[in-house]
Amino acid sequence: MNDNKGEQRSTLPGFLGTIDTAISYLEAFLLAAGVLLMAVNTVANVVGRFVFQYSFFFTEELNRIIIVLITFAGVGYAARHGRHIRMSAIFDALPFGMRKALMIFIAIVTSLAMFALCYFSVVYILDLQSKGRVLPAMQIPVWTIYLWAPLGFLVTGTQYLLTAIKNLVSHDIYLSTTVLEGYEETEVEV
Amino acid sequence: MATVMMTTMVVLLLLGFPMMIPLIVAAFIGFYESFGGIDKMQFMVQQFMAGIRPASLIAVPMFILAADIMTRGQSANRLIDMVMKFIGHVRGGLAVSTATACTLFGAVSGSTQATVVAVGSPLRPRMLKAGYNDPFVLALIINSSDIAFLIPPSIGMIIYGVVAQTSIAELFIAGIGPGIMILVFFATYSVIYAKIKNVPTEPKATWGERMHSVRNAVWPLGFPVIIVGGIYGGIFSPTEAAAACVLYAVILEFIIFRELKPVDIWSIAKSTGLITAVVFILVGAGAAFSWVISFAQIPQAMLGAVGITEMGPTGVLIVISIAFFIGCMFVDPIVVILVLVPIFTPVVESVGLDKVLVGTIITLQVAIGSATPPFGCDIFTAIAVFKRPYLEVIRGTPPFVFMLLLSAALLIMFPQIALFLRDVAFK
Repeated sequence: MNDNKGEQRSTLPGFLGTIDTAISYLEAFLLAAGVLLMAVNTVANVVGRFVFQYSFFFTEELNRIIIVLITFAGVGYAARHGRHIRMSAIFDALPFGMRKALMIFIAIVTSLAMFALCYFSVVYILDLQSKGRVLPAMQIPVWTIYLWAPLGFLVTGTQYLLTAIKNLVSHDIYLSTTVLEGYEETEVEV
Repeated sequence: MATVMMTTMVVLLLLGFPMMIPLIVAAFIGFYESFGGIDKMQFMVQQFMAGIRPASLIAVPMFILAADIMTRGQSANRLIDMVMKFIGHVRGGLAVSTATACTLFGAVSGSTQATVVAVGSPLRPRMLKAGYNDPFVLALIINSSDIAFLIPPSIGMIIYGVVAQTSIAELFIAGIGPGIMILVFFATYSVIYAKIKNVPTEPKATWGERMHSVRNAVWPLGFPVIIVGGIYGGIFSPTEAAAACVLYAVILEFIIFRELKPVDIWSIAKSTGLITAVVFILVGAGAAFSWVISFAQIPQAMLGAVGITEMGPTGVLIVISIAFFIGCMFVDPIVVILVLVPIFTPVVESVGLDKVLVGTIITLQVAIGSATPPFGCDIFTAIAVFKRPYLEVIRGTPPFVFMLLLSAALLIMFPQIALFLRDVAFK
């Protein structure tokens, strides 16, 4: 819950590890900054409306931009920290060997689905770009607000691919590249 | 195609895939079959984005943020203290206080998990010390925290409102009646339990102590005033109420109580962002799934096959209740809402049911299912929070599940329990 001790260092070797750690910091920054910006934006609009009888014309659009950002910065971050919600009751009851095989299968399928979504979201963005629509209030081209989507899917797909590899090369079972399976690691989330 | 989609989804869910994947893969299959290949897959991304875009969904991260701030601050303890000073001394008072404090904190935070942590953690040791046995205590905490689903603010209701295109404000108000009814049931059971087990009572507080506790709890009690009063009075939309709660929580915990320091806001925001992302990726995937099943007219085909339209409104409500109850025994409530609401929406409309009533009943079923073995997600929250084995956590649940099912039956028979306040406020 309270992981403000800084981000964990990547377990990847050399230069790749540096990039991975940098992405992790960036995701954490975008998550926190996104939430704070969204809160300031929404609160300011409420205060503006009630105190000054003035609504900001851009609040809704800005929030839409931020929620896309938070979602796709968080999807990779959650994958990295093994925090995506899953129904693990049956999984947990299986013997070690089957759990390991199943985890590798889950990680590979998840990674493929993420890469597919990455590709489809690029197609979607190109589609939007060709139509040239802009956000009515902020006059920003609509396609630009979705650029986080393929990036988020790419990072998440890579995380799961690395998780599959990690499980293949190491003795234990990993939920993500850094998180071992088991309830000891379970953090309580509010 | 419907069979392939549904089977794939259930199998992947049960195997332990991250919950977004069953939804995404089922949607893949649906789009592939509906459009004859992958040429139109960008529509899936389009629907995904349309799912996370509604302005009313912004209430979700805002309420999570407010709850996150409060859980780390003093609000919960002050509420607990006030409730204890007033009813702690009656027979079963500690248990009744726990149930009441859970309900109050639910009205403050809207999150079941937050309530288990913020109210359950400090009260469980006190109840154990007083002589209650642990399975009863655990079951009471889990089930009372579930009242948070019904009492506004409720994240499940926000998502239902968006998916079913119903007024979130009306849903919030409609949840209050059933929430209080359940609290009364739990309180009654607690008193009877304490009498039978002969649990000793707590010392009675003086009126001076009581007034002091009320003064301490006045600030946290502002949250329900903002949410319910603001929405009831037509001052706030749910999203605005959520924003007001964030502002209020910041003022309370950072400025008045000084429990939190400015640096804490960064880690709180990060934690909120992470939970938000995990929910929104599901909402997006759920929207893509829901769009394609509507496009292929799967709900009509599935429900037509079981002859649901001949069952009449009450029959439909019963089928919906059973479906959500069973769904939530296995899977996270948000996923169940995302998958099942679009399936049932056409039939709800065709038999002319009130969507707010349906939403309230669904929310109640979600609450029951989440606390019901084998896999209700609240059980696992309790296992994680209290570090108790599975069997001990579930042993005390049957009486509570029974009371909740009774509440559901009463709600179906007497919809006014939910709709009375709504009608007073909005009609």
